[in-house]
Amino acid sequence: MLSRSAAGLYWMGRYLERASHLSRLLRQQTESLADSPPRDIYFGWHRIYGALDREPLSGALELDSDDLFALVDSFALADDLTFEPTNPDSIRSCFAQGRENARQMRHHISAEMWTCLNQSHLRLQDMEMPDIWVRSPENFYAETAAEIDTFRGVTSSTLYRDDAWHFVQLGNYLERTQLSASLLMAQIAAVHLFEVPADAYWTSLLRHYYAFEAYNRASSAAIDPDRVLGLLVTNPQLPDSLSLSVSELCGELAAIGPGPDTEATARTRSQAEYLRQLVGIEWPGGADGHALLRRIDEGCRELHHLITKTYFDYPVLAPDHGRAGRHDQ
Amino acid sequence: MNFDSYDLDPAVFDEMFGADGAPHPHCGDLYDTLGSMSSDDLSAIGEWVTRSFTNEGITFTVYGDDEETERIIPIDSVPRVMSATEWGELTAGLKQRLSALNRFLEDIYGEARIIADGVIPADMVRDCPQYRLEMRGFKAPHGVWVAVCGTDLVRTNDGFRVLEDNLRVPSGVSYMLAIRKATKSAHRLLYRLSRVRDIENYGLILAQTLRELAPEGRSDPTMALLTPGIYNSAFYEHMFLARQIGADLVEGRDLLVEDGYVYMRTTSGLKRVDVIYRRVDDDFLDPLVFRPDSLLGVPGLLHAARLGNVSLVNAPGTGVADDKSVYAFVPDMIRYYLGAEPLIENVETYLCRRPEDLEYTLDNLEHLVVKRVGESGGYGMLIGPHSTAEERNEFAALLRADPADYISQPTLALSRAPCLIEGRLEPRHVDLRPFILTGAETRIVPGAFCRIALRRGSLVVNSSQGGGGKDFWVLDD
Repeated sequence: MLSRSAAGLYWMGRYLERASHLSRLLRQQTESLADSPPRDIYFGWHRIYGALDREPLSGALELDSDDLFALVDSFALADDLTFEPTNPDSIRSCFAQGRENARQMRHHISAEMWTCLNQSHLRLQDMEMPDIWVRSPENFYAETAAEIDTFRGVTSSTLYRDDAWHFVQLGNYLERTQLSASLLMAQIAAVHLFEVPADAYWTSLLRHYYAFEAYNRASSAAIDPDRVLGLLVTNPQLPDSLSLSVSELCGELAAIGPGPDTEATARTRSQAEYLRQLVGIEWPGGADGHALLRRIDEGCRELHHLITKTYFDYPVLAPDHGRAGRHDQ
Repeated sequence: MNFDSYDLDPAVFDEMFGADGAPHPHCGDLYDTLGSMSSDDLSAIGEWVTRSFTNEGITFTVYGDDEETERIIPIDSVPRVMSATEWGELTAGLKQRLSALNRFLEDIYGEARIIADGVIPADMVRDCPQYRLEMRGFKAPHGVWVAVCGTDLVRTNDGFRVLEDNLRVPSGVSYMLAIRKATKSAHRLLYRLSRVRDIENYGLILAQTLRELAPEGRSDPTMALLTPGIYNSAFYEHMFLARQIGADLVEGRDLLVEDGYVYMRTTSGLKRVDVIYRRVDDDFLDPLVFRPDSLLGVPGLLHAARLGNVSLVNAPGTGVADDKSVYAFVPDMIRYYLGAEPLIENVETYLCRRPEDLEYTLDNLEHLVVKRVGESGGYGMLIGPHSTAEERNEFAALLRADPADYISQPTLALSRAPCLIEGRLEPRHVDLRPFILTGAETRIVPGAFCRIALRRGSLVVNSSQGGGGKDFWVLDD
């Protein structure tokens, strides 16, 4: 497959996963605005901004005990993460980037995929924060996440299982792994910052991962942070766990086949296997747990770099006619 | 729906009605169907067609001062129809014309016999900005310089005329196919009843044409469509066609030339490319030969093509044959190369480089259409009958300053076809762009991109200037 096409599809997968992840986080966060204490609301914002490694446009987050003020502040923060044009990680920016990559690669994706994505794009294009805030912002975020899920379903039903599929999935799983590692690190940091442990901080995390019921089934005990983190990192049956995401990305890399440089290919696969090792060990807890998440996060960044150098942007040498000839049909 | 507000003009050919006011025999089913529909029904079809274009993102890009806009071409839901007999006569003329144009290109970049024999003046060819000295001695595969041609046709009471030959990177075929898909679905009963000839195999025929032009010994060639990229106004079409023909959609940065061969960068390494359907203008194709500042092209591409290691479709340099001045000589080319009379006539053309033609043009500006030879898309032209005195004075000054840069033609009464305008059927001027493909043989799918001048009385059909499109059906006799 053309390298630029592969890169476009890979980025499409990454951007849409990013939009989905943020939509789900914001759905939970806006749900909490109705009845959660201001402290929990600020915890949620700290977790989200920490995971994104971003400062709010309005400046640092500060806890205020005034309920109404928490709501006013939340409007600006949600706007920053949803529609702010200068924020490259806002939902609309990610959606636009994902759609733009799809537009450039339309000849590689199915017509059904394009129509599905384009319709969502058209819905988002003209919206502004007041439009969604006056009604039910949580519904807007739920719909947005559901539209991306629908797109994934359409992709699964209609896209031929060639390299186009594998690069979309590779981008999707690598992004998911990296975002999860960041979110879990941000969760630990926010819990430390707010000092008082609260079950709500952990149950909201479990709900983000659709893991609340799974946790309850596996753990009859009350909420235990290390058990929660252990489930989200190492459980290979949980759809969004780090373990399953890394396993899927290793599978996609194996299916893609070698790049032009054997050594670069080996390094890339070896890096993916290294990630598999990291998410496969028993959750260590405490400071070691945080260190493990950091290594996973760094490992994802390195893997992205290696994928780019192996498949998309490799150094071009004068063609070896023998080698080039092997690809001739 | 009725035709109460549909005014017939005896001076203008109507695609639906004869001079006696009755529908043409092949338009009977369409006439009856429209008569049985309400205005709301037809409007709903129009809205559905537009919505399907919106959802599918069938757009062209318009560039403003500081931002780009993806726009949808306005689509009229009433198809234009033609009988198979009439279409057969038209296709014979189109094939004849393209055959002569290919012979002309092979000749002027070779021995230039047509010039030596005095059929066309040497300066007419060599002063043309689209004449590429660099292509002298180039051997196009099978003598096919132009494999994909989009010929603009208009109809008057005197029959069809060729308005323009588009021989470089003609566009619009994706609209032909997309409009058909939407209109067929919306008018499915009428479509079945009318026995409309199919055009859906255009992609297969284009792919076959490209394969036939592959370098010697490359029986299963690797094909690529070279696009200037996402910012090109026709990017949707490039993507659409790449998908139709199973080719990779490449930009210049995806390709490189080594040892006279063209390769593309794939995830598994470099892969040789055999046929490039290029949608990049000559100027930007190869910075080593044409514009050195081009970032869209591929250094060394022309060298590889000269060696016969890659086929470029269409070949560079074909623009000289669709130049608005050279156009006037196409009937002479047909006589010279094919020994036959043109089956489709040209529009009478005055070359302002000739003093007598300049004088005639200046004396009759209010009746003529004046065109700048290097412009397209409806820009750089004066439509005399619709112009102001100030505009005519401005053009007169331009003509006197650089007469060779202009031609003039009589203002044609382009035929009109019924269109749904604000809930009523009204006539609008139309043209027709069929697509002619030449590889080992010449093939034409029975369809065309039919453009409409949506503004009442307007003759400008270009989509960039408010034009729209409608489906065009060739009906089995």
